[in-house]
Amino acid sequence: MPRPYETVIIFDSTLEDAQVQEKLQRLTGLVAPDGGDAVNVDVWGKRKLAYPIDKKEQGIYAVLRYETEPSALIEFERVMRLDEQVLRQLTVVDPIVPAPPVARAPRPAEEEE
Amino acid sequence: MVMQRRKVCHFCESKVAIDYKEEHLLDRFTNDRGKILPRRVSGTCARHQRQLSQAVKRGRFLALIPYIPDHQR
Repeated sequence: MPRPYETVIIFDSTLEDAQVQEKLQRLTGLVAPDGGDAVNVDVWGKRKLAYPIDKKEQGIYAVLRYETEPSALIEFERVMRLDEQVLRQLTVVDPIVPAPPVARAPRPAEEEE
Repeated sequence: MVMQRRKVCHFCESKVAIDYKEEHLLDRFTNDRGKILPRRVSGTCARHQRQLSQAVKRGRFLALIPYIPDHQR
């Protein structure tokens, strides 16, 4: 059963907008087989990092929200880890509040790094 | 005797969800050394404190807030 996820990715700030788009497109394709249309992509743009990562002071932030099978995340995260221009990636189960609490409201499930 | 205002949990009061992407929020609940404020200081309830500490840690990982502020590094 698909579950809602949210992924934050920090790209190297030296990437051009087009390159970021290209990478995002490839990544979204991995979690949404139909070419990534079902993925809500929010690119924050360049932002100063609170501390240097790989000696870099800036990063390009992108937030993806989507629903996918948990099994799809394995390849998705693997590809990001292999990409040296991805400084950070964090995928969590989307905290959107599910339908109003029923008798026994399920606690929002927690993340993995 | 000093009158003390009864502390209420900010999140119970305002009904806002705790989001690790909002660094201003996380900032408010960490001290100037970047440490998470204890409940006795912030007045946060147990449930929200748990969510908050999780959010702060995620925020740190994503370099939205520092593990250690610059002036101490």
